[in-house]
Amino acid sequence: MAYEEPITDYDHIVENCTCAFCGSNCDDLDFLVKGNHVVGVRHACRLGASKIMEDEDQRLKVPMMRDENGELQEVDWDTALDAAAELIANAVRPLFFGWSETSIECMKKGLKLTEYVGAVIDNQATICHGPTVQAVQNVGYPLMTLGEVKNRADMVVYTGSNPMNAHPRHLARYSVFPRGWFRQRGRFDRTLVTWDPKFSDTAKMSDIWVPFEENGDYGFCNAIRAVLKGKELKEDVISGIPKQDIIDLTEAMKNVEFGALFFGLGLTHTLSKQRNIDIAIQLVQDLNAYTKWVLLPMRGHFNVNGFNIYMAYEMGFPYGVDFCRGYPRYMIGETTTVDLLNRKEPDVFLVIAADPGAHFPGGANMHLANIPVIQIDIHWGPSTELADIVLPGTFIGVETPGTSYRMDSVPIHMKSAIDPPETCREDEWIVNELYERVKKIKEEAK
Amino acid sequence: MKTITLTLKKFSSIALEFEELIPDTIYNWSKEDFENYQVPVGNSKFPLTNYFDIEVEGDAEGPEDVKMILDGDMSRVKYIGYRMTAGEIIVNGDADLQAGAEMIGGSLKINGNAESYVGREMRGGSIEVMGNVREYCGTSYIGEWRGMSGGIIKVHGNAGKQLADCMSGGEIYIGGSCDILAGIHMTKGYIEIGGDVTRWPGGQMKNGAIVIKGKLSSLLEGFENEGIFVDPDIEGKQLTGKYIKYKGDIGVNGKGSLWLNAEKNRNLL
Repeated sequence: MAYEEPITDYDHIVENCTCAFCGSNCDDLDFLVKGNHVVGVRHACRLGASKIMEDEDQRLKVPMMRDENGELQEVDWDTALDAAAELIANAVRPLFFGWSETSIECMKKGLKLTEYVGAVIDNQATICHGPTVQAVQNVGYPLMTLGEVKNRADMVVYTGSNPMNAHPRHLARYSVFPRGWFRQRGRFDRTLVTWDPKFSDTAKMSDIWVPFEENGDYGFCNAIRAVLKGKELKEDVISGIPKQDIIDLTEAMKNVEFGALFFGLGLTHTLSKQRNIDIAIQLVQDLNAYTKWVLLPMRGHFNVNGFNIYMAYEMGFPYGVDFCRGYPRYMIGETTTVDLLNRKEPDVFLVIAADPGAHFPGGANMHLANIPVIQIDIHWGPSTELADIVLPGTFIGVETPGTSYRMDSVPIHMKSAIDPPETCREDEWIVNELYERVKKIKEEAK
Repeated sequence: MKTITLTLKKFSSIALEFEELIPDTIYNWSKEDFENYQVPVGNSKFPLTNYFDIEVEGDAEGPEDVKMILDGDMSRVKYIGYRMTAGEIIVNGDADLQAGAEMIGGSLKINGNAESYVGREMRGGSIEVMGNVREYCGTSYIGEWRGMSGGIIKVHGNAGKQLADCMSGGEIYIGGSCDILAGIHMTKGYIEIGGDVTRWPGGQMKNGAIVIKGKLSSLLEGFENEGIFVDPDIEGKQLTGKYIKYKGDIGVNGKGSLWLNAEKNRNLL
């Protein structure tokens, strides 16, 4: 990696900003600001810094609508908002998806709109940690805050996730490297374990790497639980791991003072989906008969957890909440976005702070191409190509303040450092404006 | 006896919700009542006559005298027979999500395939599916630890993933094969699978019985062999042939029994 000169050409520093990238929500960043642009970011990882600094690249700046030739053309805010409100007001099965990269304040307005029109509201958990949420509903949630891990953990296990690539500061700031109250020597006081079929960058720096076979997670956890209950394993190799290694690992896990298990999408999206998490949670419960163990999902977007917490608090269900009958309903496969799109049910799709065009399965996107799509976002992306109406929002945590929830459910206030572009509007304002206009249309129709 | 026939004339890609059209509510409805009925579709309600031709014959004193026939592709009609307590529903075609969910009594017959959640949290009555069922047949609501607690589900085809999770009573018979984790978290009840099973039946089961007449590809470590039994009697059902009995799941100190056909699973002997 080439040496980069430190940035010295800036007007002022805004301290203690929060990163709007992954679920680690690092809140110790310093933004170097020059002429209403962030020219440098201190303390952030490369992923976070590049998102914050190279924000001007492909930025959506004006509202747009498709003309008769199917090209996106600039329109004024009133025209775009009225057209979007008209679509939402006349829809029979509207679906509002996204919300994970915007603030809780915006979600609040979104929920009001959803309830008023009888839509489905869903977030990215439906394609990432949804199985985790289901398992938590089944068997409980032995979680902690990341501060506890930093101060106490002497064994940290990562499974189905690769934080060195996806959450780069997770090990450095919360789990492995920092010196904690009871772990004064930092990394030297901790054992890092990775359970992963791949020799990932996290596995490379781990003390123990357990390469179980793909889809072997359930059988592997079941074997550890059987060993914990004193059973002698009958197979020589279980899920690709030799019997003796499983026994040794179980013994090591029993003999720590404080263990933390972090898991990612490698666990939620292999063969047995939510049951992998289910058995991992029960494994942690079993280990608590011997010592203290906790577990935490490695959430992706900076506010994906916030949506689940907010919806569970307001409506009793974490994601995929259907208001079509006037009251909230939640059923995996029935009220979740990808299933609804595969069944070709929705007739209007609003996407806010998400990119289904890039992340949804082909079948789901095929239906999106056939129905009106309203996009509220800050960047041009694959979803913009599918969108019929584009409403440019502002960047939470850089241009607009807001509340988000870290992966361990700690709420964090994200402050703003610069002013948003003049032609853009805050997400919260846009959603509220849609609500007011839909209400006006519905009341006139009465 | 009252026979109500609904014949599909227009297919809606947005699912219709049929939880109000069960024998318990419609046994005293006339043809006019059906014609005036607005069926929930998405966030709106539309006349039932938009989608169905309706025929009503005979009279009924109560729901047990009702026979309801749904003709046509019902793959976008949800909640057929939801919470019904008596009567009979016959679907001549495929059925959508939640067919027979929370059913208490009566019978539901699907002459086609069914989507997920057939007989979810069923308490009584019987469901017969002539084709296949998809995921979560006879299962619990997400987070609920008591699934199907009574009644009988018979599937002549194959079953999808996580059949009967958290089952706490009742009987399920699958004619064909079954995907992963049948009877997961099961606490009581009886599951019989005629065909092959891919992986891990009975994960974390506490009690109850699972019988597999075909080949099992992968067994969990939490199960302990208890020997071979000839013509065993399992929960009052007499089976013929040799079966290997396992007890599990040890991870939850389970006392459930898993019976595998010895002829088809010779590798485990």
